[in-house]
Amino acid sequence: MGRQVCVASAGFCEHASKRSDVNMPELVSEAIADCLAKVPSIGIEDIDAFVNGNMPAFEGANMPELWMTDWMGARNKPLMRVTTGGTTGGSVAIAGYYSVTAGLPGIDTVLAVAFEQQSQGDTSVGLASVAYGEISCLNSLGIPLEQLSRLLSAGAAIGVASYQATNYMRRSNITEEDLARVVVHNRHNAAKNWYAHLKMPNLTIEDVLDTPYISFPLRYGMVCPASDGVCAMLFTTEEKAKDMADIPVYVNGVASVANETAILGYDGAGAGQLDPSEQLGARRSSELAYGQAGISFPRKEIDYAEVYSPFPNQELMWVERLGLFEENTATEMYKNGTTAINGELPINCSGGVNSTNAIGASAMERPAEAALQIMGKAGNQVPRTVHTSLGHGWGGALNFVTLMVMSDEPQRKWR
Amino acid sequence: MSEKIINITKGLVRAEFNFWVGLYMDKFYDGLEQKKIVANKCPKCGDVFVPPRKICGKCNETIALDQNWVNLTDTGTLTNYTITPYKINERGSRKVKKDQIIGMVQIDGSNTTIVYKLLKIEPAEIKTGMKVKIEWQEKTKGAPEDIKGFVKV
Repeated sequence: MGRQVCVASAGFCEHASKRSDVNMPELVSEAIADCLAKVPSIGIEDIDAFVNGNMPAFEGANMPELWMTDWMGARNKPLMRVTTGGTTGGSVAIAGYYSVTAGLPGIDTVLAVAFEQQSQGDTSVGLASVAYGEISCLNSLGIPLEQLSRLLSAGAAIGVASYQATNYMRRSNITEEDLARVVVHNRHNAAKNWYAHLKMPNLTIEDVLDTPYISFPLRYGMVCPASDGVCAMLFTTEEKAKDMADIPVYVNGVASVANETAILGYDGAGAGQLDPSEQLGARRSSELAYGQAGISFPRKEIDYAEVYSPFPNQELMWVERLGLFEENTATEMYKNGTTAINGELPINCSGGVNSTNAIGASAMERPAEAALQIMGKAGNQVPRTVHTSLGHGWGGALNFVTLMVMSDEPQRKWR
Repeated sequence: MSEKIINITKGLVRAEFNFWVGLYMDKFYDGLEQKKIVANKCPKCGDVFVPPRKICGKCNETIALDQNWVNLTDTGTLTNYTITPYKINERGSRKVKKDQIIGMVQIDGSNTTIVYKLLKIEPAEIKTGMKVKIEWQEKTKGAPEDIKGFVKV
């Protein structure tokens, strides 16, 4: 068994569509400063190792971790980069957790940094580089590259999510209005979160449904923005976290699980699954993470969740697949206010990925927000005390899920 | 088994990148436009950076944007060099008529080096530690190529 790991702090930089006032390492340094400002008893010199990551090739800058070493305070210290597509941030956070739980001599405090400055690059090109893994699989089956255009023509990730959305809508019998309601929920929350990108306090369901389709059933008003932003998380041992933070947040379960990448399979190779909204990876990763954390009834035991939902249908899907709500009931929970900030189980009070999406950072912003909610330091803080929270990430090529379950008390040892 | 060769003649996607240099490098390029070397100084260790930067990696000190600026002269010391018969920034095997010298130059008063061509110097007379001076382009535009290269003082 590894050591108990805690989150001592988490920080962000201000997100916007164009942070042209800073270059990439300068942007990264802002989130690190915000993260360390919350733990005044330590400085950057007290950090023993660094984990860092963003999407590969999104900004056209390879090996940015080497460029920004000095800007992270990582000079002459152990440094590792992790990049796993959309889940990069989640994987970076988990790598930070692993680095501490391993118990290597001299490595107690680890800073994990995930970032993206999307305004510098071309998201579709970046995503194509992620999808290349699948293209080469298809090539090996004799399927030409042109097949990919079906995916790209629908606007990168949306091309993928629209299949997921239609499947989910049919399965759960919901309408476009129900999707728009989730968007309104997120954008209203974002308006109260200092670093969020799309702040729309007066958005209505009608406004969302008034925007044109990108790819049925997803409309312009429903999809996430492309943001420039950074998230940093500070992982350390239980003993050190007690000194650093008023309320140390115990990381009690992590998981990262992939199931078959689905959509390109539809185009040609044949898929092992019929329904992209089934999400076996999410079910399996929640089993693993809840098992580690000793959670048997997620609906009762989890007080707050941040799920990775660039598109509104995904938010409904994830909260069900992760066991927070019964299947086909999520829409009802958004209607009756269960998921609102003062509801029984608040979801995405930060505004979520739907309002702020610096891709490489997004999957880390979920556990970071979930941790800050326990500490009582979140931008849009839940008024009720949060004891146990969940941070989720989605991406990879398509079906890769990262999870981090956190609590204000240590891991239960009887499992 | 038959063999199938796939030739890709045209790319499916176009990559466009915009790089934001940030406010520190902005000042540097504004300086170049006026034929000036603008550097900044770490308030803790006193290291002077060309080009300027936000954070001193040695002391992890953030250098404020509104202070610690230093104007340097256009003279410096050659700390290192190489001589190549090949064209730079062009396809590999093209030779030039005359060997070219590229060197690392430490601008006087700075703690960093910048790499440029050395002009009007014979390979025989090049020497590490020699004093050199910036040769500016006649018309500057606020870009790295405003410095044509370095010549001996």
